[in-house]
Amino acid sequence: MEKILSALDALGAEQYVITEKHTDSLETFYVKKALDLTRRADTAVTSVRVFRPFEKDGAKMLGEAEATVRPGMGEAEIRSVLERAWYAAQFAANPWYPLPAGVKEPAKADKGGFAGKPLAESMKAMTAALFAADTADDVFLNSAELFMRRRTTHVVTSQGADVSWEQYDVWGEYVCQCPAPVDVETYHQFNYRDPETDALTADAAHALALTRARAQAAAAPRTGTYSLVLDREQMRTLMGYYVGRSGAGMIYQKYSPFRLGENVHGPDAKGGLTMTLAATEPYTGFGAPMADLPLLDNGVLRAIHGGPRFAHYLGVAPTGEYRAVAMPAGTVPRSQLLAEPCLHAVSFSDFQMDPLSGHFGGELRLGFLYENGTVTPVTGGSVSGSILDCHDRMTFSAERYRSAVYDGPLAVRIEGVQVAGA
Amino acid sequence: MKVQPSAFIVEKRPLLLRLRDALCGAFDYASVLAEDTTGKYYRVSRHSVSVDEGDTARGFVVKALDKGRYAEYSFSDLTAETIPAVVDAVRALLAADLRPAGLEGRAYAPPAEEPTVFSGATDYDIDPASLGDGEILDRLAALRDRGLAMDEAVLDFIAWMSWQRYTKLFLSRDKDMTQSVMFVTGGVTAAARKDQEVKQAYLPCSGLGGMELMERMEANVAPCVRTALELTHSESMIPGTYECICDPETTGMIVHEAFGHGVEMDMFVKDRAQAPQFIGKYVASPLVTMHDGACSAEQTATYFFDDEGTPAHDTVVIDKGVLKTGISDLQSALTLGTEPTGNGRRESFARKAYTRMTNTWFEPGQDKLEDMIASVKYGMYLECPSSGMEDPKNWGIQCMVDIAREIKDGKLTGRIFSPVVLTGYVPDLLKSITAMSDGAQLSGTGYCGKGHKEWVKVSDGGPYIKATIRLG
Repeated sequence: MEKILSALDALGAEQYVITEKHTDSLETFYVKKALDLTRRADTAVTSVRVFRPFEKDGAKMLGEAEATVRPGMGEAEIRSVLERAWYAAQFAANPWYPLPAGVKEPAKADKGGFAGKPLAESMKAMTAALFAADTADDVFLNSAELFMRRRTTHVVTSQGADVSWEQYDVWGEYVCQCPAPVDVETYHQFNYRDPETDALTADAAHALALTRARAQAAAAPRTGTYSLVLDREQMRTLMGYYVGRSGAGMIYQKYSPFRLGENVHGPDAKGGLTMTLAATEPYTGFGAPMADLPLLDNGVLRAIHGGPRFAHYLGVAPTGEYRAVAMPAGTVPRSQLLAEPCLHAVSFSDFQMDPLSGHFGGELRLGFLYENGTVTPVTGGSVSGSILDCHDRMTFSAERYRSAVYDGPLAVRIEGVQVAGA
Repeated sequence: MKVQPSAFIVEKRPLLLRLRDALCGAFDYASVLAEDTTGKYYRVSRHSVSVDEGDTARGFVVKALDKGRYAEYSFSDLTAETIPAVVDAVRALLAADLRPAGLEGRAYAPPAEEPTVFSGATDYDIDPASLGDGEILDRLAALRDRGLAMDEAVLDFIAWMSWQRYTKLFLSRDKDMTQSVMFVTGGVTAAARKDQEVKQAYLPCSGLGGMELMERMEANVAPCVRTALELTHSESMIPGTYECICDPETTGMIVHEAFGHGVEMDMFVKDRAQAPQFIGKYVASPLVTMHDGACSAEQTATYFFDDEGTPAHDTVVIDKGVLKTGISDLQSALTLGTEPTGNGRRESFARKAYTRMTNTWFEPGQDKLEDMIASVKYGMYLECPSSGMEDPKNWGIQCMVDIAREIKDGKLTGRIFSPVVLTGYVPDLLKSITAMSDGAQLSGTGYCGKGHKEWVKVSDGGPYIKATIRLG
């Protein structure tokens, strides 16, 4: 840090953000129930963003460029990479904006259940939790990857920030396989900040049950228009439309029509979604404290989120970057959302939401068709809809679902969604 | 000119040789990979100019086998003093008690290696440093200004490019290999508003080499703007199964997502692919011959050896419709008793090596594009693919494409549908190919993930193809 500060001083770079990151990651890779590889990654990297004020055609500008300082770099190499960034910054000519002030606070330790424990101990416990669900003969875990991490971040800025924090988490993926009557698999991810062993076991059990159902799915649903029920991880993806369109960059550059104080569902809409952006880091990238941000209140946009540049252009306060969403539960029990006829899409190849167009969709890997008093597993074909067309035809469940990036209704029913199938 | 090796790697080489020797003395097998990747990413749009470092990395990963068990350790710095600590870290990993009761461990024999000493570098014409940041951004700004000036309905026009240069050194008891590679990627995107939607058209540009690529971006400005404006009149896709003509980029996405992932042989090891049951059988039209390999084409995934020290291959995966073989990393080849094909790739030194695609493509055929379009009674011309997802176990396909142009009685009608989801059963799609054009193009601006992570640079492509595809 001292070498970097000294080099910045020598350059005359008075505005900067220095971010040191260290990651210690213990990783295990399983094929069926056998450990295939053990890994550890102990890596460090420091990003230095320099901001260079200058005038162009009589206008006040602020250029920005980034340099990466790596362990083992000597003073001469550090000076060289920072000089190159300082030089480049004069060409990234954007209208001037102020950098946000940061705070100077003692280091924040992770207070979660992984904190202070050896990574190996936590890894063993989470591995046991995952495989605890793998008890059947007809459906099983095909493979799994677990990453147990301790990460520390230290941010120092020219605007007074000097903060650091640590975070432990476990994340990974696993594949479930059911060989008969049709040999199928399903893919799943997880991420926990606490040793939620029961939750991981329950999620894996749910995933295995879905895989067994997929093996029974023989055909795609008929082509047509359906009442579509989405749930779990697809909820966060779907809500990405509102998060994306309320970003300062999207609004300033006119990619998004959202306006503060207006209903995001349209000028004639009455009521609508309530949503909060949830902080998952204690500080922003500029070393300012980060808090939950109420985004929507009955459909009305209450905040715009984003970094200092576009926030300044829009005349709003900068925020940190948010990846988690919280929403109140709906009022309708999930069982009523599944009232026939409907298509409950539980697994996609890659469910996507495009905030620019409002289009959502994906290939259906597993769904349940509720019609004529029966529930039929289906696979194949694709779902294709636009949230612009159906935002007033969404009904949310009373039951909740929680993940690392979402806390809200478990499911939503959307009327009038196209399905390309058999 | 040849890409020069990283000064960092050159300086660390004596230490790395000592580390290799220490590891080989301690374990049944060991290898060391050192990586130094530098680069820059430039982007201009109506309201923003930026220059960043892009995807860079510098560090080391050692892999060791002892008593049948593999372990890897990735780290950022190496000095003479830390060599014993690296050996100790690997030893600790191999001895770590991480398996709960009931879980076993896989056992491997050491790989058989051919003694190899290699040093190679790719070529370039224009060094990014010789152009300088200001000149590169000025050229991109000129493209942006041309795009914005074409029509006042253009909401935004983005021009970007990046270069990446890396040196990798691989050492094991029998191998001492160094390579230095540079590639460039770029693209233009035009955006236009359609009511509450923003429609975008994107044209990529990529290649092995240096900034000479920028000249090729000029020609893409006008078509990109025209397409974005056309998209403002697009309609929602009418679900159904259509005769389709796919442009080379869409062909590339089908090659990559539909079939490429399904022949990654680490999927064979896990019983996650159908392909092993189809070796020697027809899986595609006899018109189809498919390649993958770092030396099968000169594009962004070209290299001399992979991250496990296996020389680059040109693997013929499908030969005239018949599935011949898969592609493989070293550890999967050890399990399957096959030869590795130079496809063991890491996102960076900090990540595990998996079987990954490189340059993946269909050989061209002999048909003319205009004849192919003229042969369609009613169908769609597909272009601008945006993303795809693999399903090797069940050979399902999902590709998102931004544009489907209606063809009626052999002519494009001007009617456009967007966006479009391609789905289907891969062998059905590949067997439905009835024509392939007489030229192939590869594009390498994208990254490929393994599931939803482990991003590596790939290229893919082929000719225009005619096939029957379900669209939604």
